Amino acid sequence: MPRSESSSAQLIVGGAVALVVAALVLYPVFYLFQAAFDVGDPNVRPPTAYGLDNFLTLPKYWEIMVNTLVVASAATVMALVFGFIAAWILTRTNVPMRGTLEQLMAVPYYVTPLLGALAWSLLGAPESGFINQLWRAMGGKEALFDISGPLGIAWVMALFEGAVAFVMISAVMKSMDPALEEASQVMGAGRLRTMLRVTLPLVAPGVLGAAVYVFAEMLGSFSAALVLGSPNRFYVLTTAIYQLVSQYPPRMPLAAAMGVSLFAIMFGLVFLYRRLTLNRSFTTISGKAFRPRPMDVGPLRWVLFAVCAVYLFLSVFLPMATLMFASVQRLATVMPTLSNLTLEHYTTAFSLNAVRSAMGNSLWLGFWTATIGIVLTGLIAWFIQRSKLPGRHFLEYIVMFPQAVPRLVFAFGMMWAWLVFPIPIYGTLWLLLIAYLTVFLPLGVRTISGVIVQLDRSLEECGEVCGANWFYRIRTITAPLLRPGLVAAWFLIFVASVRELGASILLMGPNSKVLTPAIVESFFSSSSELTAAMALIQTVVVGAAMLLFLISTRRLSRIES
Amino acid sequence: MTAAPHIEVEDLVIRYGAVQAVGPVSFQVKAGEQMTLLGPSGCGKTTTLRAVAGLEKPHSGRIRVGGRVMFDGEAGINLPAEERGLSMVFQSYAIWPHMTVFENVAYGLRVRRKSQAEIQDRVREALALVKMEAFADRHASQLSGGQQQRVAVARACAFSPSVLLFDEPLSNLDAKLRGNMRIELRELQHRLGVTSLYVTHDLEEALAMSDQILVMNAGHIEQHGSPDAIYNSPRTTFVADFVGSSNLIRGKVLRERSSADIVVIEADGGEVIHAATCGRQVGDQACLSVRTVHLDIADAASTPPRHPNHWPATIQRSVFLGDLTQIHVVWGGRELIIRRAGPQHWQEGQQVMLSADPAHCTLLEDN
Repeated sequence: MPRSESSSAQLIVGGAVALVVAALVLYPVFYLFQAAFDVGDPNVRPPTAYGLDNFLTLPKYWEIMVNTLVVASAATVMALVFGFIAAWILTRTNVPMRGTLEQLMAVPYYVTPLLGALAWSLLGAPESGFINQLWRAMGGKEALFDISGPLGIAWVMALFEGAVAFVMISAVMKSMDPALEEASQVMGAGRLRTMLRVTLPLVAPGVLGAAVYVFAEMLGSFSAALVLGSPNRFYVLTTAIYQLVSQYPPRMPLAAAMGVSLFAIMFGLVFLYRRLTLNRSFTTISGKAFRPRPMDVGPLRWVLFAVCAVYLFLSVFLPMATLMFASVQRLATVMPTLSNLTLEHYTTAFSLNAVRSAMGNSLWLGFWTATIGIVLTGLIAWFIQRSKLPGRHFLEYIVMFPQAVPRLVFAFGMMWAWLVFPIPIYGTLWLLLIAYLTVFLPLGVRTISGVIVQLDRSLEECGEVCGANWFYRIRTITAPLLRPGLVAAWFLIFVASVRELGASILLMGPNSKVLTPAIVESFFSSSSELTAAMALIQTVVVGAAMLLFLISTRRLSRIES
Repeated sequence: MTAAPHIEVEDLVIRYGAVQAVGPVSFQVKAGEQMTLLGPSGCGKTTTLRAVAGLEKPHSGRIRVGGRVMFDGEAGINLPAEERGLSMVFQSYAIWPHMTVFENVAYGLRVRRKSQAEIQDRVREALALVKMEAFADRHASQLSGGQQQRVAVARACAFSPSVLLFDEPLSNLDAKLRGNMRIELRELQHRLGVTSLYVTHDLEEALAMSDQILVMNAGHIEQHGSPDAIYNSPRTTFVADFVGSSNLIRGKVLRERSSADIVVIEADGGEVIHAATCGRQVGDQACLSVRTVHLDIADAASTPPRHPNHWPATIQRSVFLGDLTQIHVVWGGRELIIRRAGPQHWQEGQQVMLSADPAHCTLLEDN
């Protein structure tokens, strides 16, 4: 077959990128599976015997499975309720300050479940929790609620995943042509009938898609369960895997078998999600922007406003305020005396060598992961969307793999893989860099692909016809046009890397500490006041980096126009 | 100008998976000539053009430009677009929004590593050609559709390619501007003497701009000829119907009354009609095309014309279209459509005399 139409440069670069991606993704997955089926001597590698024994022992841990299902289901239901109500209020009604509220709805996502869990453990621990202290001070008996139980964990997870559900559901609601509803009204159907017969069926596939996606995320989520559940031995699958790996002696094969099972379930869910959203795109999304047609709800709009405000209060304001409040006290209590106030936790945090080096490491990793990441994911996205190279669909599937695997499980495979790798990078920052690049592949590819598909194909084709070779076209046409997408991707990868927990906690070594696991470590081994101070420092640093980045890119674009 | 073929396409087949989108098609464009691929959307005309440009990989066949092999399915040759040395104006204009007008036009020259001075000169020249010199420093986002279209043409011409490809370049302009650009593009093409291949679904555009027209339908060539030949002697029902508006009349051939040049047909409604064979094969059944503008109506009482094609008919309705009036008449149990310029005053139900010059009644090849 003549293949000369895709120039040899494209073939070479494309092949190299595919090889790198395959190595990054499949190498650890292979070792994960190898460990899961390893039934030989645990101290000998490669395995001396293979079998299903590790999987056959899983039913003994039925309690963990039940915990996982209860927490994930409860959290999914709550997150969907938050997301759906907020999406309906903000896309379909004339609630006051709609624009501002809509932007604020993204903030919980940036607060992260870890910070939320730290804060809510301060608020809702049965004995020392601020809310329970207040409750008892007001004459209540026992604890008002217990954040460390399954529902408490689900509550914290749902608060933060609710923002994700909101984004997904409001996208569906926005993409629905209001004319479809108007047509029903013109034909004489009332509001309720229109809602039941037209709106709901149109939105249902999108909501279902969001439900599947959120459920998969919940199954793989780690930090809230780790912080809130593991101190009192309440485990879900991810925290159990972490426990099995970090205990002495570690039980690697069993952890691997759990990881593979979780991987299989999440892979199925992600596949289901893609099927659901694929069908939806043909029915309601027509690609054109519709004029929003908010419903006038009268004085009820203030109630709806309050609903959104309460959500933001519980997911953003209250956690942040709690952390701040706790971080300036010697011993956190709900009604501190003046003498209890101190800044010592901040001075301690800054003086800790571990924190300082961890902060430096995290920023270094964030910078390089983002920088290398946008080059790699940019090329991948281009090859998937625009090239005619054979095997590009295969590349697409491999790239989306890490999305279906909890980062902790992925890191497990990576740890196992790189331990036997001839070049000694285990326990160094290089391993973390490789891990981050791998787990954030889907994030980068998705972000940049979203921009590439919006670029008119003929912009590049015109360069082709003008006689420019592939490198020249990428340099002069594609890359400059993609800049907003590349900037956004850099930004997202940077923030995600600096706050990564699941992969880092398994892969960091004594000389390659990073910030988020250091925070978790401090939570378990020193005081929650110091932990709060560290968490706030991280938030401020990330926030400052984001601001700096935003200002510099905005200035750049202003100079250009 | 030589008359040697400049673009040669032979047995070109283009497939998308198992679906055969184009072909096999074969055609040649002479040097300096403008050839138009005309057809409805989805007929494969743009795909064919893109295959010539090198943006679409054909399944089989051969494409040569200026004697150089661009694609040869058997020999496994397929030059990438950037090595073909052609130029193209895109339907969406594809003006790069991150560059100025000057940089857009200079692109092909920079790719060819021309000197700074030469780039300056030739960009100015190309912009002057389309009367856009004053806009050199603007960004694409500050241009109107018509201006972007001119920049796209200047960019395509700036590096003096030997072949220009046009992919529906006027379809995004409003009707008035389209009319003006049509004439400007035609003049430009004459002035530069460049061989061009032009794709459109607009009949007027094709007739006004081309030396040769290739009418395509469902991936095949229906008819190849000059604008005059395409309009006046359509070969198939598809061409008759797509190129202008036609009345298609089917019937039985009356062999004993026909001659070599004239075929006589008894239409399904019983009326007898004489038509030009245009040298085409005559079978037992035939289908004729009579353009709506080639039908005449007169008062029933007026003197009949000297040819045999005149019949009584009844006016059904008259629709005013501005430049034209469209009149529907009942003739031999069916409806015929007539388009006339100027004021028309026919009443519904009025008896009239309908006539058509046999020279304007064309025998089609398919029936």
